[in-house]
Parts: sequence; structure tokens; C-alpha cells
Amino acid sequence: MIFIIDDDKIMAECVSRAVGDVDKIRFFDNAIEAMNEIASGVMPKLIFLDILLNGPDGFTFLNEMVSYKDTAQIPVVVISSLDFGVDNLEMYGVVGILNKDTMLPKEIKEYAQKYAK
Amino acid sequence: MMQEVDGVLVVAHELKAPLAVLRQLALSLDDLGAKNEHLRDEMVQVSERAIRQVNDLAKVRRLEDGLFEMEPVAVRVVCDDVMQELRYLFRENKRGLRVKYTNKARVVTANRELLYSVIYNFLVNAMHYSAEGTQSELAVQDERECVKVMVRDYGPALPVNIWREMKKGFIKEPTAIAMRPGSSGLGLYIASKFSRYMHAEVGAVRHRDGASFYVKIPISRQLSLL
Repeated sequence: MIFIIDDDKIMAECVSRAVGDVDKIRFFDNAIEAMNEIASGVMPKLIFLDILLNGPDGFTFLNEMVSYKDTAQIPVVVISSLDFGVDNLEMYGVVGILNKDTMLPKEIKEYAQKYAK
Repeated sequence: MMQEVDGVLVVAHELKAPLAVLRQLALSLDDLGAKNEHLRDEMVQVSERAIRQVNDLAKVRRLEDGLFEMEPVAVRVVCDDVMQELRYLFRENKRGLRVKYTNKARVVTANRELLYSVIYNFLVNAMHYSAEGTQSELAVQDERECVKVMVRDYGPALPVNIWREMKKGFIKEPTAIAMRPGSSGLGLYIASKFSRYMHAEVGAVRHRDGASFYVKIPISRQLSLL
């Protein structure tokens, strides 16, 4: 199972198309719903996370994830137009950062293949 | 106390989001066939240019925060990267681009990102104003205390008032250099602002058959201390 958390539905669908295996994907347009889903026991193998979301932002989500032993292990790929290095976010389980302005579908697919086969 | 919201930055973000989506949608198009693949490539390129322009505008607003670090930068490498990105645009528009490096690959003090944008904007401007079938020129040469990057185009001559504005070394606003038909002057305005931030000098040379725009970037003394 892969989670895509992005309040832009079309961008989320683009990410989903790049991943390819649509049956394995769950969409969330805000962080709270995604957190509730995880709290109910659904553990994704990988999360694609936008940072600027309606309501709590991506950083709040990451902070919540890292607060629990089991969720802290879930790899997260941040997809954002903001500039930041992966080094700053490694401690939050972030395994990669894709810039929305420049990312390619094959890069998205590579993360999916690596972490959510 | 509430922090004042910068309208331009908000607009930039609002514009960028749909442009990034358009780019992704174009990239998602599969099985177009060889005949239509170039349409997808063009959509991607156009989106990327628009995203770059919006990003540059946002950077102009952030210059006064002083967040762009100055560092030793290899000018030739930056020029090569810009050329790589724009080669497609020149080819699609049936314009050529010739390069002339006569410097000793000296390193300058600049911000790589901003310098990239300066050269990028010069080249896009040249492409836009060159006649079909002509070749623009990118030259990099050493001067005493700086490295000069010059872009020559073959299009309409530069009006005298605009040339004077450039000669002063700084362009105050885009409309002041609505210099040739169809131009808002935004690209050169951005190049001018970024150059000033880097303590580089911008200028223009008038030709009967076009114009040259240049930026002179101070060389880095850091390596000479070794």
C-alpha cells in the first residue's frame, strides 16, 4: 500500500500514474485523514507527501509519524515546490525529496519500486 | 504582531502550482507516436520556462533578505548547463546558438542559481529577438578583474533610451525596458536585479543588426589564497 497525501487532486493522480499500480494506492487530501488511517492500523509501505496542505502541514505529519516507533519506520518521499535538502529531514524518515517543478515520472516510479514492491 | 504577506510571493506560489501540474500532465502522456511526441516535449518545455520565470520573480522579492549565498562559481560550467537546457528551444524555433569560450576557466564570486538565471534570461531574450535561421552567440572572456559573459543576438536594434538605461548598469522596472516589439522586458529586469545582487555589472551594446547584452562578474580571490 502506498499513500499519496496531496491537496492537489490532479498532481496526486499524476504521481499515481507514475507509480503505475493504482490498486495499491490510497489518496488523502489532508494530513489528518492520513494519520487517522495509519492510527487505525493501515501501515503503508511508502508515503508520498506534499508539504503545503490544507490544515496541518506536511511537517506536522512528519513530526507525528516520527513520534511512534512503528510509524517512524515508514519511508516518506516529500513532493514539494519548496527547497530543502534531504539531510535536514532524514531524521523524520524522509528517504527522498522530489521537486514538483522538475521531477520526472520515472523518479517517482523508482521510489515506488524500491520501497513498495 | 501579524507578519505582512507579500502579495507577489503568494501570487508566485499560486501560479507555480498549476504550472507544475501542467508539466506533470504533459509528462504523463504516453503512446503519442513519434509524430506527436514533440508536442508533449514542447508542453513540458513551455511549462518549465513559465515555472522558471515565476521562480525568478519570487527570487527578486527575496533578494533583500540576502538569502542567496555568494560562492566560487565556474562560469563555463554554468553556461554549459544553461545551453544544455535551452538547446531544444533554439532548435525548435529554428535558431542557432554558437559558443565562444576564450577565458581560462577562471572562477567568479557569484550565486550559482542567480548567475544561471542571468545567462538563461539573456539567451531566451536573444532567441526571441533573433531572426529565423540566425545564430546567437554566447561568449565568455576574461577581463582584468572579472569574467565577461556576453550574448549577441541578430534582431531589431536596441532603442537609444533603452541602451542608456542599460548603460547606467541597472534597470529599475520591467516596463522601462519594453525595448523591442512584444517585450515586457521582464527577463532583462530579472537579470539586472540578480546581477546587482552579485555585484556584477550588466550592460548592452547596440549593433545595427541586433544587440549584445553582457554581465561582468568579479573573479573569486578565494582560490588565489591557497
